[in-house]
Amino acid sequence: MISRTIIRPLILCSVLSSLGGVASAASVKIALVETLSGPQASTGMTYRDAARYEINKLNAGGGWNGEPIKLLEYDNQGTPAGAAEKLKAAIADGAQMVIQGASSAIAGQLSEDIRKYDIRNPGKEVLYLNVGAEAMDLTGSKCHFHAFRFISNAQINVKALVAAMKAAHVLGTRVYSINQNYSWGVDMQQAIEDDAATGGYKVVGKTLHDVNKIQDFSPYVAKIAAAHPDTVITGNWSNDLLLLMKAAKSGGLKARFATTFMDQPGNLANAGSVALGAYVVHPFDAEAGGKKSEAFSADFKAKVGHYPVFVEPQTVFGLAMVGAALKKVRPENGKLNVNKLAEAIEKTKIETPMGEWSMRAADHQALLPMVVSVVSKDAKYKVDGTDMGFTPVKLLTAAEAATPAQKTCKMKRPA
Amino acid sequence: MDYFLVSLLNGLIYGLLLFMVSAGLTLIFGMMGVLNFAHASFYMLGAYFAYLLGRYIGFWPAIVCATALVGLVGVVVERYFLRKVHKYGHAHELLLTFGLSFIIAELVKLFFGNYPVDYHVPAMLSFPAFHAGPLAYPAYRLIMGAIALLMFGVIYLLLTRTRVGIIVRSAIYKPAMAEALGHNVPRVFMAVFGVGAALAGLAGAVAGAFYTTNPNMAIELGVLVFVVVVVGGLGSLEGAMLASLLIGLLTAFSVGVDYSLADLFTWLGAGDWARRMGGLFTLKLSGLSATLPYALMLLILLVRPSGLMGEKE
Repeated sequence: MISRTIIRPLILCSVLSSLGGVASAASVKIALVETLSGPQASTGMTYRDAARYEINKLNAGGGWNGEPIKLLEYDNQGTPAGAAEKLKAAIADGAQMVIQGASSAIAGQLSEDIRKYDIRNPGKEVLYLNVGAEAMDLTGSKCHFHAFRFISNAQINVKALVAAMKAAHVLGTRVYSINQNYSWGVDMQQAIEDDAATGGYKVVGKTLHDVNKIQDFSPYVAKIAAAHPDTVITGNWSNDLLLLMKAAKSGGLKARFATTFMDQPGNLANAGSVALGAYVVHPFDAEAGGKKSEAFSADFKAKVGHYPVFVEPQTVFGLAMVGAALKKVRPENGKLNVNKLAEAIEKTKIETPMGEWSMRAADHQALLPMVVSVVSKDAKYKVDGTDMGFTPVKLLTAAEAATPAQKTCKMKRPA
Repeated sequence: MDYFLVSLLNGLIYGLLLFMVSAGLTLIFGMMGVLNFAHASFYMLGAYFAYLLGRYIGFWPAIVCATALVGLVGVVVERYFLRKVHKYGHAHELLLTFGLSFIIAELVKLFFGNYPVDYHVPAMLSFPAFHAGPLAYPAYRLIMGAIALLMFGVIYLLLTRTRVGIIVRSAIYKPAMAEALGHNVPRVFMAVFGVGAALAGLAGAVAGAFYTTNPNMAIELGVLVFVVVVVGGLGSLEGAMLASLLIGLLTAFSVGVDYSLADLFTWLGAGDWARRMGGLFTLKLSGLSATLPYALMLLILLVRPSGLMGEKE
């Protein structure tokens, strides 16, 4: 008797679950392979918040093929090796897309692993959605058909910064470049040199320094001051940016700062009045897009708990593009054909609160509007519980911000 | 000339700050033979305590209280954790402090969040001390240097000129004999651990306001502090002072040196060849500034494994 009462429900369960398996075979799975533990976890979690927000929104709009899109979450523990490991797990779990943003080193690993996997497993391809890694190589010599970048890169950032600051007559003629000594910082330095002619400035000094190892930036500030720059352009992030700006302030350096990551949460709170007057280029500013961007900000805050900042908007818009492309792809035998989706993404244009986003087919670099803002007390949206926020200076359309595709990208398209 | 003077001062004061943190580490090692991996976590705790208290009792009282609080944490760690595993040997003590550093980091994140907190130098202290060329020299840096020097003086006199110092030194040198003479050696250990932790806490409270107070500050400084202790000689207070100043000056001056190996080869007539080779040859010294202390450590370990002022071995 006892055995029967146990076995019957068991059989029922297994039958039901196999049915369930058939039914959910069509649902699309997106794997978030992000840094969710360790020192850099805070950034990984912002990507996760944004991805959850947009996936929920896409599912509220019907998902794909009548099934909700599933977001699987994996912790890459902040290393390329960890990411490679989790990528295998994600593919084994049936993920057809991988989304990641923090760290170009991890992005490089994921993008290469996915390229190789796709060559070896035709018909079971996986897409790589890069929502934050900005190294030039990812859309240059390492570009491939199954990788998409939904964020700007060093060239776009510097071009936008220089254009906006020049138009506002705050750039000056002497620019100092200080960046971190790895792919991203080297790209930034190159971009700063490349834009010298159009920006009408002279690069009076260049420094590449170790990443996140320096406590004391005052020797660097002494070196910068000796070059008498009007503006310091830096791609530094996190502590390297904060410590640099604090050292500059306490040393009384009279130069404007033009940055790419001033909007990282906690920066304004920690820098305090040091941050005032610093410029930042980013893909979203809640004030810049008028009513539309304010409505988006309010909705994001209602669901996530804070206004969208830092890397969140690009993650939302990037996934929104994928969602729009998914709508154009019909299921084949109940499954998603990833190559068709990739082609659909290339043709997708969406209207974001900042303007139109599209994808360039030549190198899979998103063409996106950029905003240059300045830290001030007049900002409508205050940040980090301070009396400061970002006031938009200039909104550049996708066409204005775009830089040409790199010649090193030789993309092989599926036949 | 201005640049030279400012760099000299920058290097000296950064070195003094490194000394404040490493003094406790080297003291604890000299006495108990325990390499305390959680030491930099005490530095972080000092900054967070001072930030928390500073909002209620003002800047200076907060620094004093934070120092005492971190010392208390150190005493508790020694009395209730380290002492229990002492009999199993150094490996267990090492692992315990290693684990502790993770726990402290996670607790800090739990209470204060993942991002840097708003802890900064009070307005009345953020004024320039003097002007050198285009730059102003912040007075707070001089205050940090003065506090470090004062600390060095007090510990040095305490260890060499007082009865307490005699007992501590004898407990380090021959613990069994000191115990036989009626001194409570475990209590001496506990006190030294507490004082060592408090010194790191003081450094954190003072420096956290000037730099940043964030959950990663222990990791950022932790490795460098070990380098200081190894270069100076494990257990040597004077060695720690010498190594700290050396490392501070090395990093401050190397930033301004934009020469690479290729330039050296130019002098020898093979500059073009070296530039063609690229890689290590064209790497500028200024870009390696933060890596130089580690190169120095390697050199010291090869040439003089006991460190600059180390006595053992």
